[in-house]
Amino acid sequence: MEEIAFFAGAIGALGGAIAVIALRNPFYSVLALIVHLISLAGLFLILYAEFIAAAQIVVYAGAVMVLYLFVTAYVGGVEESIWEPIPGQRFLAPLLAAALFIELSIAVVGTALKAVESTGPTIPADFGSPGSIGELLLERFLVVFEAASMLLLIAAVGAIVLAGRKRERETVPARGAGR
Amino acid sequence: MITPVAEVGYAEATWILIAKSIVIFLGVFLIVPVLTVVERKLIGRFQHRYGPNRVGPVGMMQPLADILKLVGKQVFRPDAAVPLLYAIGPALVIFSGITTIAILPFGDVKDGVGFYGIDVSIGVLYFFAFGSLAFYGLLLSGWSSGSKYSFLGAMRSAAQLISYEVSMGLALLGAVMMAGSLSLVSIVEAQGEIWYVVPQFVGFLIFMIAGFAETNRAPFDLPEADAELVQGYQTEYGGSRFASFLLAEYLEMFVVSGIAAAFFLGGWMGPGPGWLDPIWMVTKIMALIFVFIWIRATLPRLRYDQLMSLGWKVLLPLATLNILVTAVLVVVT
Repeated sequence: MEEIAFFAGAIGALGGAIAVIALRNPFYSVLALIVHLISLAGLFLILYAEFIAAAQIVVYAGAVMVLYLFVTAYVGGVEESIWEPIPGQRFLAPLLAAALFIELSIAVVGTALKAVESTGPTIPADFGSPGSIGELLLERFLVVFEAASMLLLIAAVGAIVLAGRKRERETVPARGAGR
Repeated sequence: MITPVAEVGYAEATWILIAKSIVIFLGVFLIVPVLTVVERKLIGRFQHRYGPNRVGPVGMMQPLADILKLVGKQVFRPDAAVPLLYAIGPALVIFSGITTIAILPFGDVKDGVGFYGIDVSIGVLYFFAFGSLAFYGLLLSGWSSGSKYSFLGAMRSAAQLISYEVSMGLALLGAVMMAGSLSLVSIVEAQGEIWYVVPQFVGFLIFMIAGFAETNRAPFDLPEADAELVQGYQTEYGGSRFASFLLAEYLEMFVVSGIAAAFFLGGWMGPGPGWLDPIWMVTKIMALIFVFIWIRATLPRLRYDQLMSLGWKVLLPLATLNILVTAVLVVVT
């Protein structure tokens, strides 16, 4: 049962990720990304992390991707520009991807793949439940948690300030135009 | 027995789970026709007319006639539509409606069978996770129809759902903090002394208002505002696919009422013997659905900017304040 769930989730996640970069239409790319994120949530469920799985769907599939879809639906269908928007991207992108791959490989090989032979770690009964994650966030990782929330707050305030300023500038000449 | 992948309040045998799934599935097709005829009858009464009264005794067979008519229609698709997405849209909406019914508790564990689909420890997050999938149903069907009305309706629903989902979640948080659990069964059990509608009255109001917006019901039915957008995202749909949007709307109304009943109105609790529990729950849900219909018959539609400022400038700060006060009170007492 777990094997079937794992392979279904893994195929969904990999297929979705490949489709994101392979598809031409940005709208379909976003849809593929949603499939990828939901498959990841399924993989989290197999790992007894039901809270993370639910948060994954609520936050990413439910909120972030909605905005992506919103934007691509509005401005989608725009032809790709002829010149490269970021100079040197053609060479830099594979280089950075290769560096990331090597880094991840070192991390994976560093564990010596011991877990493959074993049956996996023993976990406490309430592992992955909302209560145990709340305890981790508010006790062991309190400083990091607060720092992350400060960062998000600053970003939110910044977004409001930027949007507000733009609107002021737009309304003034519109009134003076007097058609 | 299948090893559960998530923590549940009470583990049950596989065959019981399968039986419950079938009961929920059949229940859906029983609830929705009743709701449609109840709504049409009530709206008729509110507007001083009879409402449906021709088909069957006092018009009760009207939904059967409606369904037969809609299912019998030709399946068609506009030329500009994207075939696959056009078909997936309505299916997604129904899928999300049916799956969220699973967490509504109609009673506690009796004779080894829990009177609910599943009691997951993430509880209400399950509702939000599957509820957010319904949104893709709307947006995909609006986008893939290849029509301007549909697209505008879908865009409106996108903005509306994002705006009100936050307030909706925050409104429930007060009750979650008082009960100390996300599981709906534990939340109902924690209301033995007093229903949360009393200490959490603000939360209840915010949840119901946001619920109207989430279910696209009047006065928040801007995504399908028939006077300006024809029918919004479902403009290009006909026959059985149109029927599935209708089904989903009533399903969502049922789910939101069910969540509100479990969180604020004491769920299955009520006087009388234990076997009355599911009946109490259904009674409370029907009472809330009556409020839904009542409001639809009473209030005119909001303007779009009013909708947005109500969501962000009134409901969200109010919900945050409610949580703050609740948190202080929970810690103090």
